[in-house]
Amino acid sequence: MNLLLIGFIGIIVFFVLIALRMPIAFAMAFVGFIGFSILTSFSAGMDMVVKDLFGNFSSYSLSVIAMFVWMGFLAYHSGIGTHLYIFAYKMIGHLPGGLAIATQGACAVFGAICGSNTATAATMGAIALPEMRKYKYDRSLATASIAAGGVLGVMIPPSVIFIVYGMATEQSVGKLFMAGIFPGILMMLLYMVTIFIMTSRNPELGPSGPKSSWKERIDALRGGLVEALIIFFLSIGGLFAGWFTPTEAGAVGAGGVLVISLLERRLNWEKLKKSLSDTTRTTAMIMLMIAGAIIFGRFMAISRIPFEVANWAGSLPFPPFVVLGIILAIYLVLGCFLDALALVLLTTPIFFPVVVDTLGYDPIWFGVIMVLVVAMGVITPPVGMNVYIIKGVAPDIPLEDIFKGIWPFLFALVICIILLIIFPQIATFLPDYFA
Amino acid sequence: MKYLSNMTKGISIALDRIAGIFIVLVMVLVVSNIILRAVFNSPLKGTYEVVGLFTAVAVSLGLSYCAFQNGHIAVSFILQRFPKKFQSMIIMLTDIISFIFWGLAAWNLVRYAGVMHKNGLVTATSEIPIYPFVYVIALGFFALCLVIINKRIEAIREVVTKISKSGFLEMLNSESARKETI
Repeated sequence: MNLLLIGFIGIIVFFVLIALRMPIAFAMAFVGFIGFSILTSFSAGMDMVVKDLFGNFSSYSLSVIAMFVWMGFLAYHSGIGTHLYIFAYKMIGHLPGGLAIATQGACAVFGAICGSNTATAATMGAIALPEMRKYKYDRSLATASIAAGGVLGVMIPPSVIFIVYGMATEQSVGKLFMAGIFPGILMMLLYMVTIFIMTSRNPELGPSGPKSSWKERIDALRGGLVEALIIFFLSIGGLFAGWFTPTEAGAVGAGGVLVISLLERRLNWEKLKKSLSDTTRTTAMIMLMIAGAIIFGRFMAISRIPFEVANWAGSLPFPPFVVLGIILAIYLVLGCFLDALALVLLTTPIFFPVVVDTLGYDPIWFGVIMVLVVAMGVITPPVGMNVYIIKGVAPDIPLEDIFKGIWPFLFALVICIILLIIFPQIATFLPDYFA
Repeated sequence: MKYLSNMTKGISIALDRIAGIFIVLVMVLVVSNIILRAVFNSPLKGTYEVVGLFTAVAVSLGLSYCAFQNGHIAVSFILQRFPKKFQSMIIMLTDIISFIFWGLAAWNLVRYAGVMHKNGLVTATSEIPIYPFVYVIALGFFALCLVIINKRIEAIREVVTKISKSGFLEMLNSESARKETI
């Protein structure tokens, strides 16, 4: 049978299986194995599965995931997020919409020690939401601003999605981390402006909180901001300076949060155990998904689908940015249904050659764009992971209300993407400068 | 049956604890290596290999408890739109596929480890035998299979209990019974 046809049938079977609630990692590995076996032989297929499972699980370069995931969960359980938020709201909580604006600042700084959007959203949801409710914020604005702000966790380094993208495309994780800094800050500013405009037009959406004295503000510096900055400069700074490999940066970061939290007596035995249990669960999930994606990718590669898609896209009579636009639209649609990691892992082998080799876009820049598009996916229905997390924190607020509040933030993300397409230097400046 | 369920939970939690210890070990090893390299200019030999192998232990031993907590991400909103009975049949089917596939993978990992053992395969720098780690990965997948099958047996058991307690017709009408099969 035709190679391409088998490849396409494989993709359809994969989507049917995940629609039938088979875990995404299982479906990728299973379909990859069956497809590869049909095109080669059963024993070659099993051989490939076994070697890929062992090869990925024991890869030094993938051990970085476990380290950054642990660093994030340690930060989550140690309460650093609470102090970051207290500082941010003492600074600007008295402005209209100030608590929601402060949340964005706290999310961005928390993102500098946590590489996951869900952990960032969960942390801030638990801290910022009760405050915003206390000051009678509109519940759509309050919940949606946290769900959207959580995405800053994956744009600002460290970032699990950048690591996975870097692995899948053989790009430098360090460069990707550098590339995320300015777009992350831009995203935060756009969110802040969005909230400011909304609350200026309708002050009832976000009433002002109490004004803090400068003494209170300076006191609030300790306990969160200073610690987060020290860890960030030590871990991510060491990576940028070329002292550390990504795994080392992750281990230094996790060790740093652990030591600081123990010294400040914020972490007891129970919390430490919880942080490890969260880490093993998340790492196992991510690593199995990566292994599954690699197995699926091998099947795709011998079915020649990525090659044919790249050829076909290259022959289209459109300028590159139109083709890029189509690809981004496909991402947006898939992002509504698929988990962020699965989306990156599944689509990279197919679209990366098109965007980078055929259309000639910068691979690091495309990584940043990908995170932005994926960010839209985690806050849009029906599978908006961050929205479900906020719903978990505030079960009494209907999902519809949260999704209703998301629109202005989606608009801000679209502007962010457009700005990055017009001015790619926002992403590429730092990696180029350090190179 | 209850015994199987408790045993599965116990095994997966125990393996998860070991996985957690290995995460700590990886961190300590990497940080020690940095300090030794920076201060004494003598890095630990073979750190890269050991970190890789320890990560493999942490990941594979975490697989089963992750499945126990439904941590492997799945898309559930499509299937939710179908009748409960259809849902439970479909989940049964996909679970059987998963069970057979991962069981096969685990069994072949055991064989792979056996071949490595026979050939005396060791890591390049530190010359640590690799095969025990492959056995551990296989163990992680066997435990994953155990969790998958246990979840299904639990679901079937609950339906059977409902039937024996309330009669078949009543069971068909009972929304909660059908819900519990998912």
